[in-house]
Amino acid sequence: MSTTKARARDKTGTVLINHWQCGVPVNQGEIFTPFMLFLLGLAGLGMGLAAVRFFSPLGPFSAMNDVYAWGVWKTFNVMTLTALGSGPLALGMAAWVFNRQKLHAVMRTALVSGFLFYATGLIALGLDVGRPWNFYSAAMPWRWNYESAMLEIAICMPLYCALFLTFEILPLILERTYYTGGEKTRAWLRRVAPVIRKAYPFVIIGAYVIPLMHQSSLGGLLLLAGTKIHPLWQSPAMPLLYLIAACLCGFAFTIFLLLIVCLRYARPLSSEILAELANLLSGICFAFLAVRLADLLWRRQFSAVFALDRMSWLFLGETTLIFVPAFILRFKRARETPRTLLNMSALACLGGMSYRFIPTTIAYRPAHSTGYFPSVPELAIGAGYVALGVAAFGLAIHYFAILPGEASSWDHSFRPFGWQNKAFGAPATGPAVPKAALQGGA
Amino acid sequence: MSIALSRRKAFRAMTGLGGGLAAVVLPETVQASPEEHPAHPVAPPQAVAMLYDSTICTGCKACMPACNAANGLAPDTHLSGGIWDMPTSLNAQTKNIIELYQDTQSDEFAFVKKQCMHCLDPACVTGCPFGALNKNILGAVTWNASLCIGCRYCEVACPFEVPQFQWESWNPKIVKCEFCYDQRLKENLEPACTAACPTGAVVFGKRADLLIQAKDRIAAAPDKYFEQRVYGEHEAGGTQVLYLSSVSFQKLGLPKLAPTSLGHYATKVTSVIYKWLSGPLLMAGVLGFFIRRNWERHESERIGHERKTGFPDQL
Repeated sequence: MSTTKARARDKTGTVLINHWQCGVPVNQGEIFTPFMLFLLGLAGLGMGLAAVRFFSPLGPFSAMNDVYAWGVWKTFNVMTLTALGSGPLALGMAAWVFNRQKLHAVMRTALVSGFLFYATGLIALGLDVGRPWNFYSAAMPWRWNYESAMLEIAICMPLYCALFLTFEILPLILERTYYTGGEKTRAWLRRVAPVIRKAYPFVIIGAYVIPLMHQSSLGGLLLLAGTKIHPLWQSPAMPLLYLIAACLCGFAFTIFLLLIVCLRYARPLSSEILAELANLLSGICFAFLAVRLADLLWRRQFSAVFALDRMSWLFLGETTLIFVPAFILRFKRARETPRTLLNMSALACLGGMSYRFIPTTIAYRPAHSTGYFPSVPELAIGAGYVALGVAAFGLAIHYFAILPGEASSWDHSFRPFGWQNKAFGAPATGPAVPKAALQGGA
Repeated sequence: MSIALSRRKAFRAMTGLGGGLAAVVLPETVQASPEEHPAHPVAPPQAVAMLYDSTICTGCKACMPACNAANGLAPDTHLSGGIWDMPTSLNAQTKNIIELYQDTQSDEFAFVKKQCMHCLDPACVTGCPFGALNKNILGAVTWNASLCIGCRYCEVACPFEVPQFQWESWNPKIVKCEFCYDQRLKENLEPACTAACPTGAVVFGKRADLLIQAKDRIAAAPDKYFEQRVYGEHEAGGTQVLYLSSVSFQKLGLPKLAPTSLGHYATKVTSVIYKWLSGPLLMAGVLGFFIRRNWERHESERIGHERKTGFPDQL
């Protein structure tokens, strides 16, 4: 691992190396590995089944029933996985609002993964609703029921994904177009780039306010379920906790993803940025636990924690999954050890996901004695959405400058997938364009 | 760095901004307008109701085919081998059902009629995103096919687990008792089930009148009635179907619920935050202030960095 070497050199103060300077496409390694083919196959199967579901009632496809009216598509693909996709919110707020400048280098990883989680979640939602043809009401504000958390989600989530996340990932697409495009495209992009830079600080305000709204509304949804949800989870603090859990998962998953993919492509790591992220993760884990504890004490439900029944064990497990990384990542050494960081971020992801998932399904216990376990096609479609997102990410990093790396390691003339380099005049390596050319988002 | 902004100044600007927005927004919330979701809603005088007395019901189920006929529902013959109507609970073709509770140890038993409770502050109506579920002037909770997107939030929200979704249908509908509003109530007829009841176990009337009638029955024979109270008077903020029973309401499958309406519980904080979008706008103002500041810092650093390294900065 070159981190240790880099740190050693950094300490002497002679060579300051930050290995993560900007996004750099992956230009090595097999793309269509057996794992990628498996993912594509799974995604194909899932999408095929989803296409059939589009022309079929929900009944034969899912094990959902009138007691558990929300199956895994809503409770896992949307309510749980968009928490993992909250990296753009968590990192973006840290970088732009709380001025953690270091995090800009890894923002694109968070943005693209977040976009894919949201996009697949929205496909899941679209195929889960029973009467999608009536969704046009979303464009008619006089039909809106303003007090419904479901309305907030139905409007804000597609809006966020289609408008704000797309705008945020636009620069990395335009940038790639710049390097691959001809002279005309480049001239156009030179004109567009300053416009994007002008709009950027205003658009990202919406890009943070809107997920703050809908991530808390996901918790707000469950308030109406009332006593159907076990008192360890049912709480007026649920909207706040869902929001904190989203930020928690956003940080944790970004760390996890960065480590996994950088290890896979043998990229040097930046211990500085990772330590910063780990520090934030630990802080937000403690914030989550503090709110959770205060909420339980305030509602006088603390005794239920140690009832040692099934729900209390679930609660203890979930809390442990969040407490362990919170505590371990307080130590500087743990924050700078990639292996520990990988394990701890995985635990935090699991903890945050448990909190988001449990109240919707396991701790959701209406009086009727009906069970719910997703059916095989239901699971296949759900897994298909995830596989689609992962495969898209795996392909995207080969083409777009998403993963962080050293700016000098970017070979602009390289084309993945065996494509021919048609752009003329692109230098082989190094700073590809005159510095004035790319003042903008491209 | 070009921005000479001290923490104190920033704080002052923020309080100014926050205070300004609050001044615009607060009078709206402070005004003593009638609350959208009071904790304990009061039924309007015209509110209709059903009173079901489990001690009178003989379980003849006359109300069930009457309900099916009025609502154009096919009998559920799944369990009876295609012979007679035999639903096991409310389902996609049953809006009204008589269930039997029987104690396994003693000879205690009771019938119970299940249908929509037509809550005074229905959770399903609060949750429905495009207002497909609506509580009309008489208090009947009705469903509008042209507004429903099929999200099934009503099923999650309903504490009585009443709304049913047609899982097997291409054009799935939410099936629930609508108080026969379109079919009969509009034409000044009472609902099909109360009209069909031969024993008077379920009667139709104004909610206020039926509540008095129920309390009179309890006063006349206090030992006969469980806890000497009317189920539905206060449950979940009060319902427009009232129950009297000799056995515990929970044994009949009626959930134990707090007297606060679920709509009040779910919206008491958000209704303040989202009033005229004041919370999100305030948040946008505060975030915008910091983003603007950090953006300018970032820009000055970026230009210096690009000049130094020759690498274009990425957004």
